[in-house]
Amino acid sequence: MIDATVREVFIQEAQEILKKLESDVVRLEERFDHDILHDVFRSFHTLKGSSGIVGMTDLSEFTHHLENMMASVRDGKTDPGRGMIDIILNSIDWIKLYLFGDSGAEALSDIRGKLERAIAEYGVAGPSEKGAPAAEAPAEDGVLYRYFKVAARFPHNVFEKGIDPLMIIEDLCALGTVVERAVNRDALPEFGAMDPEKCYLSWEVLLKTEKTRKDVDDVFLFVSEESEIAVADVTAECITLDGGALSRERRLGEIMVNKGIITDGQLLDAVHEQEERNVRLGDLVVQKGYATPDDVRIALTEQEKLKTRIETDTVRVDTAKLDRVMNLLGEIVIGQAAITRVADLLSEQHSYQLKSALYGLDRTTRELQEQIMSIRMIPIGPTFDQFRRFVRDTAHALGKEIVLEMSGEDTELDKTVIEKIGDPLKHMIRNAIDHGIEPAAERELAGKPRAGRIRLRAYHQEGNVFIEVVDDGRGLDYPRMREKAIMMGLVRADEEVGESRLASFLFLPGFSTAKSVGDLSGRGVGMDVVKTNIDALRGVVTVESRKNAGCTVRVKLPLTLAIIEGMLVRVGAQVYIIPLLSIVESLRPRVEDVKTVEGAGEVISVRGEYIAMVRMDRFFGIEADIANPWEALVVIVEASGSKIGLMVDDLLGQHQVVIKSMDGGVTASRAISGASILGDGKVALIIDTHGLAGELAS
Amino acid sequence: MYEPSAKSTVLENETLESAQYVTFVIGAEVYGVPVLKVQEIIGMTQITHVPNSLPYMKGVINLRGTVVPVVDMRIKFRMEERAYEVNTVILIVEVRGINIGMIVDAVSDVVEIPIKGIQDTPHFSAKIETDFISGIGNRDDQLVIILDVDRILSQDEVESIERK
Repeated sequence: MIDATVREVFIQEAQEILKKLESDVVRLEERFDHDILHDVFRSFHTLKGSSGIVGMTDLSEFTHHLENMMASVRDGKTDPGRGMIDIILNSIDWIKLYLFGDSGAEALSDIRGKLERAIAEYGVAGPSEKGAPAAEAPAEDGVLYRYFKVAARFPHNVFEKGIDPLMIIEDLCALGTVVERAVNRDALPEFGAMDPEKCYLSWEVLLKTEKTRKDVDDVFLFVSEESEIAVADVTAECITLDGGALSRERRLGEIMVNKGIITDGQLLDAVHEQEERNVRLGDLVVQKGYATPDDVRIALTEQEKLKTRIETDTVRVDTAKLDRVMNLLGEIVIGQAAITRVADLLSEQHSYQLKSALYGLDRTTRELQEQIMSIRMIPIGPTFDQFRRFVRDTAHALGKEIVLEMSGEDTELDKTVIEKIGDPLKHMIRNAIDHGIEPAAERELAGKPRAGRIRLRAYHQEGNVFIEVVDDGRGLDYPRMREKAIMMGLVRADEEVGESRLASFLFLPGFSTAKSVGDLSGRGVGMDVVKTNIDALRGVVTVESRKNAGCTVRVKLPLTLAIIEGMLVRVGAQVYIIPLLSIVESLRPRVEDVKTVEGAGEVISVRGEYIAMVRMDRFFGIEADIANPWEALVVIVEASGSKIGLMVDDLLGQHQVVIKSMDGGVTASRAISGASILGDGKVALIIDTHGLAGELAS
Repeated sequence: MYEPSAKSTVLENETLESAQYVTFVIGAEVYGVPVLKVQEIIGMTQITHVPNSLPYMKGVINLRGTVVPVVDMRIKFRMEERAYEVNTVILIVEVRGINIGMIVDAVSDVVEIPIKGIQDTPHFSAKIETDFISGIGNRDDQLVIILDVDRILSQDEVESIERK
């Protein structure tokens, strides 16, 4: 019997593989690339192996067929094409169904049969050739790719002949992938003696390519006579490294050469000496006076960076554990605050010493807190990648041509945010495809490229994360939206309505300007869902549109859900936290601005606008120090589209607070979203303005 | 018969036939809860008032970084409220996976009460509801009212807490 946990691990692994597969396959459709093909092949291979280990023979056999098909495509026996992509995608769907679905075995084997026939027709797969015909995929790289080491030194007067060496190098690089490159600056004279019309540099390139040696030689056809061009086939050497693929981890020396800290010659010299003396290369270079210790340090960090890039996603940790560490850290901070208070009681000299020691400790704990937070952060890239397939399928279903572009995939967000951002993003993208991007014919008429373009962007700004879905479609139809708004009674027929206000109506439930409700979206629900989801993540969503130039839906999110920026307010003896994001302003109203509305409560007039005022003490059933609004402060918050004034005794300042769940919810009040522990160890409640508005309304 | 002096029996026997209880005082009565249910006992600390909660829910406290609700047992038992003083303590007990603090007048001891000596009390005329009393034990001629902490907060109360 297979251990359940092994299966669990496999399922998790499979989930990741499938995600990557989908994204890879769609990329493969966009642009046929042998590297991606290999990745796809390898993914299926891993699936086959792992599923075999956990005893899922059905899956193992099925992926075996797929693997065979991929092998025949890779070896050039079968042409890749749309058919193949569809088969692969359908197969991925089957695997998902098999692993996560709950359909019966019959339905599964029925689909499987169809797929296997398709695969067999497509490629040369068959259950008969079991075994491992292509199991050692990476080893076969060598057959497809060759590695060439090219050293090129051009004559000094090469420019006079109208040849730009750079162009030649670029041509060379275009033949394949550049694995390593180096510029030799040895011949470069002193700045004063340099003739700008002469070429002093020479280049070395390690190229990984499918092309033959002749193709490489041909690049230098026009310069070969006078230049020193050396092309060496080093495939064998490179293949033996790391069992196939050339190690991407670059050595310190190369980094320093690349950064121009030392020259090739100096490096060679140092390396030779290193072999004899067994000291670290970095130290040696400094001893020889080739570089300063600073230079070496820079190169070392670079090397570290490269390493980490290679060694990402390694540890799986339960987030509950991180939360516990975070809680304990919070306690340390509170303990520190307590010691600081004790320090105040000591004599001046001791107090000073203790405080400076505490100051150092404080910095460390802050750093520790940041580090722990950063553990929770993961890049948004994989989430974006998921949409490749979604965009492809949606675009096909609607008969539109769409190019998906992404940027900022390495932008990091809290894991919880990432998990919850998928759905709203999907709605936003679907809207962009369905309503934003015009059909190809219409686009051509408007003088745009046939294929619509959707851009997913993520970036950090001012402590927030922004995610944008940008389309280059027709933009929002403001006149229509106005009509609709009037129809729904949101605005009066004669009312002047700004575009931004009209755009905000998009997020209201049932507000759809789509002429017909399509299979994919009628807009009535979609944006409403987006808004609700983003609100739950304490984010803000805005729409910007230019007629015929497209539409940008921008989501602003906090970096993390575990910490919020809050305004601490005092009401009597109690301290509450109002999320800064919902605060509009705070003010002290004048006596004449406060009015009582019979049976409805109090309002204050702020620059001509009447805002309902809530006395926090009465609302929460506690006692406040100040009874008159014109002596107290009113914090104006935005909640569910309207404004509410919260009357408080005092503002205590703005703080980042760690949100604690109220583990035994104690209250039925929707106005409280959680609690936080203040610096002095006291618990302060966090106010949920939406809930508060809701409670007021009911 | 089991008597207090017969405590020299082997350990297995003890664990089988008697149980340990943390006893505490509310008003004139001595109460006990199973020692395993008690997470810890802390002194009175600053309680943050929580709006719109049950009357006996005094609020929440900070227990080493976690927020724990506290219940005033006097109000829960419909006794007269009393100002907290130096002996007032909070017993942190685990009620169906959730930590809850019980405010009691004073904590007295950890005692061992023979299980046989615990009597069911279908009709008990104290000022408390009987459904969360699991029995009455006798310890050195003093009655110990043994509470069933899982029932101190009635079913729907805990559910309303869990739902949050």
